[in-house]
Amino acid sequence: MKQILPPGVDAAAFADALQAFRKVVGDPFVYTGEALLSYADPYSIVADDNAHAASAAVAPASTEQVQAIVKAANQFGVPLWPVSCGKNFAYGGAAPRMAGTVVLDLKRMNRVLEVSEGDGYALVEPGVSYFDLYDHIQAKGYKLWLDVPDPGWGSVMGNALEHGVGYTPYGDHFGMQCGMEVVLPNGELVRTGMGALPGNTTWQLFKYGFGPYMDGLFTQSNFGIVTKMGIWLMPEPPGYRPYMISFQREEDLEQVVDILRPLKVGMVIQNAATIRSLLLVAAMNATRSQYTHQPGPLPDSTLRKIMAEQDIGMWNIYGALYGPPPVMDTLWTVIRDSFAKVPGARFYFLEDRKQPGDLLTQRAETMRGIPRLSEFSFINWSGGGGHIGFSPVSPIRGSEAMKQYTMVRDRMHEYGFDYLSLFAIGWREMHHVVELLFDRRDPAIKQRAEDLFRLLVKEAAAAGYGEYRTHLSFMDDIAATYGWNEHALMKLQQTIKDALDPNGILAPGKQGIWPARYRGGRT
Amino acid sequence: MKRRSSLVALLLLVAMENASAADAPAGKALFDHYCAVCHAAGPGHAGTMRLAELRGPTNAVLEQRKDLGTAYVSQVVRQGLVEMPPWRPSEIDDAALNQIAQYLAHGRR
Repeated sequence: MKQILPPGVDAAAFADALQAFRKVVGDPFVYTGEALLSYADPYSIVADDNAHAASAAVAPASTEQVQAIVKAANQFGVPLWPVSCGKNFAYGGAAPRMAGTVVLDLKRMNRVLEVSEGDGYALVEPGVSYFDLYDHIQAKGYKLWLDVPDPGWGSVMGNALEHGVGYTPYGDHFGMQCGMEVVLPNGELVRTGMGALPGNTTWQLFKYGFGPYMDGLFTQSNFGIVTKMGIWLMPEPPGYRPYMISFQREEDLEQVVDILRPLKVGMVIQNAATIRSLLLVAAMNATRSQYTHQPGPLPDSTLRKIMAEQDIGMWNIYGALYGPPPVMDTLWTVIRDSFAKVPGARFYFLEDRKQPGDLLTQRAETMRGIPRLSEFSFINWSGGGGHIGFSPVSPIRGSEAMKQYTMVRDRMHEYGFDYLSLFAIGWREMHHVVELLFDRRDPAIKQRAEDLFRLLVKEAAAAGYGEYRTHLSFMDDIAATYGWNEHALMKLQQTIKDALDPNGILAPGKQGIWPARYRGGRT
Repeated sequence: MKRRSSLVALLLLVAMENASAADAPAGKALFDHYCAVCHAAGPGHAGTMRLAELRGPTNAVLEQRKDLGTAYVSQVVRQGLVEMPPWRPSEIDDAALNQIAQYLAHGRR
């Protein structure tokens, strides 16, 4: 492999930095050469294979080692890209935004530091995956549930810091975060909220402490490296009943969303429910080639065939009831009666879905916090592995859902891609998560996917929609769409960045925030 | 889905074993821990689903394959293969990877 260097760092300084890192963590935990192949973004959408190539990786085992590495990085001017479990696939995995950055791989910091069954929280290090925390809770016999995203191998901390979502009533992961320990870009260690009070007993119980609320500054940012984080856990409810509701027509989406909003805002729908498109559901158990070998949008006859074979709808709600049976019964009555107004709506519980591998049987685990990886089956739909999420935020309003749906679907069909999506329902908004699948081995298809993605970002922004999260390659594009008042928000972020990280060593380019050192012509 | 074994038990097991070709129990435990969630038999396993389409149902489940070599397994784990993402040495160290590879290549025969 050709050695790549961080921009602005010569070979001698880089070698000295690596030597300093080795002194901190030991030789086996500084990775160079062939070992860096495992740090590449496997699903990169851009043509340049080196666009996000790391120059090295270093894997500390403790907060003290992180501090020592950060100090050495400042000394030699070497940029670091922290990853927790490195499983942020479709957004870049373990690869850095800027080629030549050293990956600070926190996977070895994988301790569950504390779980309080009575207060319902855990304190974890960055390398703790959902699988790890789930196993820990099961082994201890705690009556607590996690909230998990679809990829169970992801980091509990990393997902919350990236504003990820799950599917229980605790689905807003950053909303359930409480208390952090952070290594600042100068190596100093701080604790947020109540953690700043020596001898406190409420670090994981009260978010805000005294003074400005700082935790948000360390999410989707490059202002610090979080080494400990509290996360609230849901007490095991006395009852649990997952359900599915299917709808038969594309245009039903508008009515479904309008019915859903008051139910969600009023907490009749208790969890972070999802509305899933036909092909996203179908792709969990079938592949495109089972239905056609023709390119282009699937004809209506094929869509109807898929619906009939899998007994699914054009749109499908996956939700769950939690609580004592009488409470669940009452909530279900309201939910069922509300959606029964949609002609052709069908209602299912687990006992109604006997087909092997049926998605409700899988969602039934995810919506009760059992981590899985089964959701990855959807990338098999068209083969080739490549996938990237386009995730504009929408009001929970039927007309806007239809507008986003038709806008994105038409463009995807125009560029030769199938439309697979879900609407993840938050407290006042929906993430419209569209999965763009492409063959990572085919440069022409990748180019088409990249062109489409950039167009979608632009068109969504023109319509007032912004993405909540994105792949490394599009961080600048999307940051630029948040440009109200001559990019006042980015100017504020840059001011904070330059104050905290004057040497520009921490995650250059993360979320479009570049340190002065690498800002150059970027604004 | 096969359940993942306790990490503590796993590490103890790994510590007690060396990476010899006959190291099937540790290799099996490691496979169950890291790989089975995608590559076990049955629905809901993305890797098995993909291999069933590419290579047919008789070659879909890794633990039932008889054509896997250690070098090939190691390369796929470290570098990924189309749908499968790579695994970093901070996640699976070389000794553990070797045990998985030995198990898939030789351990079940």
